[in-house]
Amino acid sequence: MSVAVMIAIFIILASSYNLVIGYGGLATVAHPIFFALGAYTAGLLAIHTGLSAPLCIAAGAIVAIAASILLAASALRVSGDYLLIASLGFQLGLLQMIRNFEWTGGPGGLTDIPSTITGAARTPAYLAICGAVAAATVALIAWIVRGPYGRAITAMRDEELAFTALGRNAMNLKIVLFAIGCGIAGIAGGLYAFYYQYLSPEQFDVLQSATILTMVVLGGMGTTWGPVVGAALLLAIPQAITFLDLPPAIMAPAQGIIFTGLVLVFLFLRPSGLIGTSGRGAMPAALGVHDHSGEGT
Amino acid sequence: MTDPIVLLQILWTGAVTASSYVLLTVAFSLTQKVTGLWNFAQAGTMGVAFYAMYFLLNDMGQPLFIALPAAAILAGASGIATEVWGLDVLRARSSGNLTFFIFTLILAELIIYILTLLFGTEPQTLFPSILSPVHIIGGIAIGDWDLWAVGISVSALVALQLFLRVSNDGQFLIAVADNARLAELYGISARRAYCVTAAIAGVLITLAMYLFGARSGITPNSPMELILTAVIGTLLGGMGRVFMGGLASLILALIQSYSVLVIGSRWQNLLIYGFLFIAIVVFPRGIHLPRRRVRLPVAQPG
Amino acid sequence: MTEILRLTGVCKAFGGIVVADDINLSIDAGEILGLIGPNGAGKTSLFNLISGVVRPDAGRIMLQGAPIDGMPLYRRARHGIARTWQNMLLFTSMSVMENLLIAPRDYPGESALLLAFGRTAIWRAEAEMRARGMAILARMDLAQAADTMVTDLPFGHQKLVGLARTLMNDGALLLLDEPMAGVEGAAYETMQRIVREEAASGRAVCVVEHNVSFIKDLCTRAVFMAQGRILQTGSVHELLASEALTELYFGV
Repeated sequence: MSVAVMIAIFIILASSYNLVIGYGGLATVAHPIFFALGAYTAGLLAIHTGLSAPLCIAAGAIVAIAASILLAASALRVSGDYLLIASLGFQLGLLQMIRNFEWTGGPGGLTDIPSTITGAARTPAYLAICGAVAAATVALIAWIVRGPYGRAITAMRDEELAFTALGRNAMNLKIVLFAIGCGIAGIAGGLYAFYYQYLSPEQFDVLQSATILTMVVLGGMGTTWGPVVGAALLLAIPQAITFLDLPPAIMAPAQGIIFTGLVLVFLFLRPSGLIGTSGRGAMPAALGVHDHSGEGT
Repeated sequence: MTDPIVLLQILWTGAVTASSYVLLTVAFSLTQKVTGLWNFAQAGTMGVAFYAMYFLLNDMGQPLFIALPAAAILAGASGIATEVWGLDVLRARSSGNLTFFIFTLILAELIIYILTLLFGTEPQTLFPSILSPVHIIGGIAIGDWDLWAVGISVSALVALQLFLRVSNDGQFLIAVADNARLAELYGISARRAYCVTAAIAGVLITLAMYLFGARSGITPNSPMELILTAVIGTLLGGMGRVFMGGLASLILALIQSYSVLVIGSRWQNLLIYGFLFIAIVVFPRGIHLPRRRVRLPVAQPG
Repeated sequence: MTEILRLTGVCKAFGGIVVADDINLSIDAGEILGLIGPNGAGKTSLFNLISGVVRPDAGRIMLQGAPIDGMPLYRRARHGIARTWQNMLLFTSMSVMENLLIAPRDYPGESALLLAFGRTAIWRAEAEMRARGMAILARMDLAQAADTMVTDLPFGHQKLVGLARTLMNDGALLLLDEPMAGVEGAAYETMQRIVREEAASGRAVCVVEHNVSFIKDLCTRAVFMAQGRILQTGSVHELLASEALTELYFGV
């Protein structure tokens, strides 16, 4: 049932990513790096200091939030589109640094993260913890996007220019949403570090970005349950396929082909994802364009 | 101070390696300029070009003068197909940047997975070995193959420059890059411009992958790393400044080569990403301010 | 009369195109200034400069005596500039009332901190804003449409909602960009009435319009622009009587 723990962690990741791209409409790709920052911070603190696990995880979240504000504030100064490339560069730059420093374990990875829970009840205990955090995440995000705050988020996504011209600080709103989403990813990272007790840079690269993106797009952007469904499907289905007993050299790319293929199919035929409102025409606002920067002479 | 001969040698060897990066950056930057998109699907094109050549040269025993053009045609065709069946559809739907990004990235991933399935993850080079005559000129080792590589790259770039300046299609590319809607009003087909750009990119990418693949081992995942250097070069050169992007890549590659003298080789990659950081935070619009894209108003102005 | 807006020597160019060439302009409280001229004259650009979508290359813009040309877009709204758009830019995922609730200048519900810690303050503000919104809709005979999705409304009503949004910002300056385009009948009358009421209550209003009868009925003063320059100001009557101007306008 360690798959269930993975699913719980990815529900946290996908939901928080959905907050950023689905609700906030911010095109970014760097979610895994905040996952990584949370994981490495928590892991390193656990190895080198005697801090308790929850504190390490909290520290990881704080590091992730600080980094996300740094990234968003620099990139959004240029334009919303620029965040996309900036986040990619940010992710790869940090990963490269992690690969090169010895104190992060280098390319071989960070090992020997101390155990916190041991014994036969380990996995169920972790499942309970991660499951609870996942449920809390989904609830928190649903709460954030309700009411006046959610209305402001929707308006910003619908027509950012009009939104700003009404006196709203769109940049602040974006940075806050980004920070919240990345902070939550940091928490997921901490949980991940303690459960698997091994971290390596490969776990957080562009492939991971594509995975989380797939979960959100397939499940349905800008919905509460979309990321949950996406995470569950994307992790559960490969498990089912393992029963086919294909050689790993075929299985890994085959899975990749199935999922990337699915994303493309959905992108063209059903952009609102599995959960979103149906029909070819229905497109989540986050996928559409509302650029009026050149309006009028 | 080190021997000036060593410095010149590094310059030459660095320039040779850089030539592939320059071609890739020019392809990426040109596409970004004309279509306005950061087209990550080019990573897929890189894979297609390389493995097509690999397959034709090794499994089918074809000579280079067949394999390379065939791969170029395939690369260009896949770029055009992406344009017509993918990007055009998304444009018609008023899709936003996120959608284009998702599409191009995921498409690249799909192609990479397919290539992994077909060719495995072991690094492959195009030729079992490259031995070419080396001349010593003024104390610097200059290989025949090196001259070829630089010659091919320079010719390709000169040809591109001529094309953009002189030919009708080239002019159309510039017009569409500047203002697609306005260009359409003058009867220039934006779609044709996009397809021509895709074809050019295909050729440049194939040349670059040839230069890479002849010397270094390529895996299906290599294109993802390669496209990142193209992104960095495009950013540093400034959006819309295609040849500046190429120059930026050249300088970056040279700096990387020279850095061997100063820092350990394992830090060379880090240097590149350090530059990316700097580019993003300090020079988001490129080292010089680029020409602004003037957009047409959405409605007729009052 | 108190001066609300003053532009001095404002210039702006995009690439090679000059959209504002040494613009000098002022609007007083209670005035309805008409901005007329052929297409491409720079009228909407002027609005963009005043409201803050773009910054001038040169010149000053003063709002109630304070310089605002360095201020970003969202701040200018908070200082009391409200505008409508040629494309309306209504929030299409939301209802009429929700569109209005985004519009007031200071709204506590959108601060993340208050969201966490000041729920009662938010509820109170929400109720207040809702009441204000209903009052505005009532003035437009649109009260019954409060919970309709804006995309379900007929075009004329959508334009009224756009206007209503600006009224929620109870600031000193109102910029209307072609409010009458495509509007006729009852909606037309309503719009005229509302604009008059707003001016009468002390707001400065500037209107870009092609609809000549609207300009004649409503505007106290008018400005004729062409190619980024103000060619003539004066009463509407004077402007329309000028042969040279009418040729420019209709001869294009």
